[in-house]
Amino acid sequence: MSAPMSDLFSLLFAILVFPGGLFALCFGLVLKGLDRRLAARLQRRVGPPLLQPLFDLVKLARKRTLVPDIACKPLFLAAPMAGCVSMALAAALIPIPGVYDPDPLLGDLLVVLYLLAVPAVALMIAGSASGSSYGAIGFSREMALMLAYEGPLLMVLATVAVKTGLAQGGFVTFSLSEIVRYQQEHGAYLADPWMWPAVLAFLAFFPANLGIAPFDIPEAESEVLEGPLLEYSGPPLGLFKVMSALKAVVVLSLGVVLFFPTAPDGAAGLLVHLLKLAVLSLAGVTVLRTAIGRMRIDQAVLFYLKWPEALAIAGLAAVLALA
Amino acid sequence: MTTYTIPVGPLHVALEEPMYFKVEVTGETIASVDINAGHVHRGVEYLTMQRNFYQNITLTERLCSLCSNSHPTTYCTALEAIAGIRIPERARYLRVIADEIKRVASNLFNVAIMAHIIGFDSLFMHVMETREVAQDVKETIFGNRMDLGANRIGGVRYDLDAKNQDYLSQQMERMKADLAEIVDIYRNNSMIALRTVGVGVLPHDKALEYAVVGPVARGSGVAYDVRSKAPYAAYDRLDVPVVTETGGDVRARALVRLREVQVAIDLIQQCLRDMPDGPIAIGGLPRIPAGEAIAKSEAPRGELIYYLRTDGSDKPERLKWRVPSYMNWDALHVMMEGNRISDIPLIVNSIDPCISCTER
Repeated sequence: MSAPMSDLFSLLFAILVFPGGLFALCFGLVLKGLDRRLAARLQRRVGPPLLQPLFDLVKLARKRTLVPDIACKPLFLAAPMAGCVSMALAAALIPIPGVYDPDPLLGDLLVVLYLLAVPAVALMIAGSASGSSYGAIGFSREMALMLAYEGPLLMVLATVAVKTGLAQGGFVTFSLSEIVRYQQEHGAYLADPWMWPAVLAFLAFFPANLGIAPFDIPEAESEVLEGPLLEYSGPPLGLFKVMSALKAVVVLSLGVVLFFPTAPDGAAGLLVHLLKLAVLSLAGVTVLRTAIGRMRIDQAVLFYLKWPEALAIAGLAAVLALA
Repeated sequence: MTTYTIPVGPLHVALEEPMYFKVEVTGETIASVDINAGHVHRGVEYLTMQRNFYQNITLTERLCSLCSNSHPTTYCTALEAIAGIRIPERARYLRVIADEIKRVASNLFNVAIMAHIIGFDSLFMHVMETREVAQDVKETIFGNRMDLGANRIGGVRYDLDAKNQDYLSQQMERMKADLAEIVDIYRNNSMIALRTVGVGVLPHDKALEYAVVGPVARGSGVAYDVRSKAPYAAYDRLDVPVVTETGGDVRARALVRLREVQVAIDLIQQCLRDMPDGPIAIGGLPRIPAGEAIAKSEAPRGELIYYLRTDGSDKPERLKWRVPSYMNWDALHVMMEGNRISDIPLIVNSIDPCISCTER
């Protein structure tokens, strides 16, 4: 499977079926179901069935598409599609250690970085295209938050790229396959204390990107009525749910690939990878969001400009200094 | 920066009842607020003048769910003042118990909603779980979870036998440990502090100027409580500490409510200890002569005033009440200005507005 697959069919297969598209969606929905179950148990509730996120999607798919009169219709409908496509692409770009190696034709870490920004941009467009003033507030919050967390993310990715590049005799490498290969040969970065600032900065990044407490500010239900999503219903809302399920898999996979990709080959490797994602999701997403409330947007931006930024700079400096 | 208007309400997830705020914002900061009420006017005041005194006990109980016991209690007190009825000693204590158990549930509900608004849903669930004890008590003793149907002219409609007294004191004991933990969380949790300290501040002098009542006043350090200023029922026979906080912000008001739950539990236990035996009401349906009276009580949201004028017939000539939310919601102007958009629901919730009482 790790041999380069260059024909169009296998590229499409990677984007639409495995590991992007269908596979990532199914696993994303299962993660979401697990998240809701565990959150319910932590709050002494029974919680919904494990497949509830899937049922929700089916329900939404069967409903009518409503577009507000004052909305900009093409943008309003295109935003969720763009979000979904970007995340399916990103899922196909991230290797599964020992199982799947993305075709270099698709792109590398830099492309992942750009694709990761698309869902947030899609939400901003959705919010402003809907014509609702709550959507507009969601827009401005999403943008503020994105500006705050993109900095640390960029530096974390640079840290890993530089570290791998330097170790291999060059300066940087943006190939995720190389990053995985190097760690499988020389041990995971997670075991290297000099990389811990970068790991911490990444852990601080993903709650904001996935929109969970304390950084679920743009879509806060009790404050701005889910902001950008307020006017959405039916299939377009379903597409946003698909997007967020895919995004969870992409962001968590990226974390695993960057810092802890060691896994056996073949089916066992896939299982180990999925297990890591599930553990990261339950520990990092569910427990966090049940243990904490929501910050205000100004507090969140300030937080990101302080701690993750400082950690990410420290991480990058450490890697450069040790070289 | 340009100013733009966002509508909050009349339907909004964080507002439990319809109320419309036209908020002018500059960026994320609130420049001014325009409050528009009147969405749930039902003409209840007029309706009370079409019904007789006994029917009105049921009607006033249905004004609102959360302070449903305060209305009939105050109404009956006004009627008793006109008719010169002295209610039996045991009935006085039973009225206190019904009032305080409603206060426990109402205050915990409001404080739980606060946690929900700041996105802290686990805390919301925890507080609601504790409140469920009070709901069980209401259901067991009164047969209902919200409307107790405890009052009648000249006394109360329920009695506590030995078994129910044991059950009640047991359940109150059970709530104490959980409550202590909840108070600690609201006082010391850094996430709560981040969102509520210094938010929606109503300074002491403004609290006096706007004549706010209830936990809103006491959160700003105004020690005004009808239960100790003008005792009714059995409050003059009980030890009623007035709970105050000095912060004047959202957290201070939440803490006042939580500590009042603790006081309420203590009051119920005092009642169970001191309550004498005897009848629970005077017999028969008393005739109400012509006259007028004012009765006051401390509802969970603050001072509730009933004005009643009778003309010797079996219907009120005029019945009017002033609810605590009417006094409190104007102070929202002071509380909101200069705060953030994200704090609007939080600040509105902190005065615990009861729109259905206010607009009746």
